[in-house]
Amino acid sequence: MEGRKSKITTAREAISRLVHDGDELVIGNYTVGTCAELVYEVVRQKRKNLTLYTQSGIFDADVLVAAGCISRMVTTYVLRSGGKSGGSSVERALKAGILEIEDYSNFNYNARMVAGMHGFSFMQVLEGIRETDLFRKRTFMGDDKYRIIQCPYTKKEILTVPAANPDVCILHVQRADRNGNAQYWGALGSVAAAALASKRIIVSCEEIVDESVIRSSPNLTILPAYRVDAVVECPWGAHPSEVLGYYNMDKLFYGLFLEAMKTAEGMDKWLEEWVFGCSDRLAYLDRYAKVFHMAILNSLRAKTMPSSPANYGAAFDSSWNEDGRDRSTGKTPEEIELILEQREKLYG
Amino acid sequence: MAKPFTLNEMLIIAAAREINDGENIVLGVGLPMTAGALAKALHAPNATLMLESGIVDFEPLAPLNHIADAHAMRGYSYNTDLFSIFTALYRGFVDVCFLGVGQVDRYGNLNTTTIGDYYNPDLRLPGSGGAADFISYAKRTVLTMRNGEFIENLDYLTSPGHLKGGNQRNECRLFPKDSGPCALISTQGIFHFDSETKEIFLARIHPGIRLEDVQAVVPWDLKIADDLSVTDPPSDEEIAFIRRFAPTHSMSRELAAELGFEYAMSILQELGKT
Repeated sequence: MEGRKSKITTAREAISRLVHDGDELVIGNYTVGTCAELVYEVVRQKRKNLTLYTQSGIFDADVLVAAGCISRMVTTYVLRSGGKSGGSSVERALKAGILEIEDYSNFNYNARMVAGMHGFSFMQVLEGIRETDLFRKRTFMGDDKYRIIQCPYTKKEILTVPAANPDVCILHVQRADRNGNAQYWGALGSVAAAALASKRIIVSCEEIVDESVIRSSPNLTILPAYRVDAVVECPWGAHPSEVLGYYNMDKLFYGLFLEAMKTAEGMDKWLEEWVFGCSDRLAYLDRYAKVFHMAILNSLRAKTMPSSPANYGAAFDSSWNEDGRDRSTGKTPEEIELILEQREKLYG
Repeated sequence: MAKPFTLNEMLIIAAAREINDGENIVLGVGLPMTAGALAKALHAPNATLMLESGIVDFEPLAPLNHIADAHAMRGYSYNTDLFSIFTALYRGFVDVCFLGVGQVDRYGNLNTTTIGDYYNPDLRLPGSGGAADFISYAKRTVLTMRNGEFIENLDYLTSPGHLKGGNQRNECRLFPKDSGPCALISTQGIFHFDSETKEIFLARIHPGIRLEDVQAVVPWDLKIADDLSVTDPPSDEEIAFIRRFAPTHSMSRELAAELGFEYAMSILQELGKT
């Protein structure tokens, strides 16, 4: 394992290298623990004309739209603040005609990623949607939003969606190692599919851990090192959303965001203060401490509730028994070599 | 003398009573979460609560912030992904789902996507999330309505109810037989759907609500059950559960927001930040 190049970098470097104007960008997180710092860095670097895929747009999607990074969006859900008198950046952009949106249901959106993740060209989906405007109303995808084919086996009509393979996925997880193995637990949602469907993957994490930690709990690993392009260590990287085992949602701060997002002016001011006004997450935390208080963040830190350890152990850890003999043949290494020689199996 | 209750509490309690012991239940965010918790605590201990984020068989300790909130539960039995929750639904393993209502028409079709023209909206609402899939394939669906509205024609059909009524939902062969919304519970009463026409009608009215109050929010000539009855009032036990488990769910959103804001300000003041 030595000599494997570390993928640890900063949010700034990772976004600069891996996210380009015009890309299809997917936010991997679903509703919880979103990659706030990576999203803010996309905004700071003023990426333009992105197509945003998000299973469920919360403040992350609204910030990207408010900052003018997104021209197209594929989603199932967008945040809206304050009922009928409120609003959202998404709503304002739709009204201004500078954003196009394709609406799917949760399964049918996710099916596009699952098809992409496995290298298939389409996926069969839940066909009840045919009776809804999710099927009938289409924007930039046109006929390719959904197509109906005949099942070659049952001869029934089946509804399909095309695979999605976004250019780049950004996501936040609990922990990762320097090689890019990413561990995530809690609500799995569609996190792994969004990342694995994508061509490039940027992971931010609450902490970088030693490879041995990852190897002792491989069931928690949702992305293998060989698929991950960059790892960013970023404590509080999902704030004001929550990360299981690390911290709860900051409802006070989230409430202030919801107030800000009601108007374009409020959003501009908020972006200036909390995104452009903070060069990175450390600067953001400094500002938080000044404007609010670190005591508030500290009160949100998770208590310990460990998972019962699973025994990954086995009966043996080598081919050789306590007498130094191979467990399946009963021979010593010397005896095996002698037999190979006697039977003329050795060359060179 | 029974304990007085709020209309939100009546809604939650009426929703909880739709859950039978041993059923598999999908919960949407908000009041239905508390209904699920209440049912599990009081009359359906063997119900399996499921969330579309993949969390299955959980016991909530506090109201969840959203459908992926593993912070508010004491462990859970099964963790899968969103894809597998919906394929379990598709195969028929979900007995009841609970969905919140934005706009609803007389056949229980829902709009949670847009007010006005989809391509040039007056209001852009959240969208489908999992709702369109759940109402399609759950064996039955209970609609809960707190701030939603009855409307003659939906601006956008997000989630399919009984479509244009009659036997249309069965005839199009896209849905499990006799699935779809079975009840709508509002802060005013409990509505059912006619077995022939599938039109919504008022089956029960909550204690203290007048019939004309219900009729006033329905823009058509609302049908009323011949045997219209008053909803059984909440028991002390049911009310006590909600006030302990989710005190903010006893209140309107506005009151909860007002008290929450006051409290946040007082915390900041204490920390010397105002």
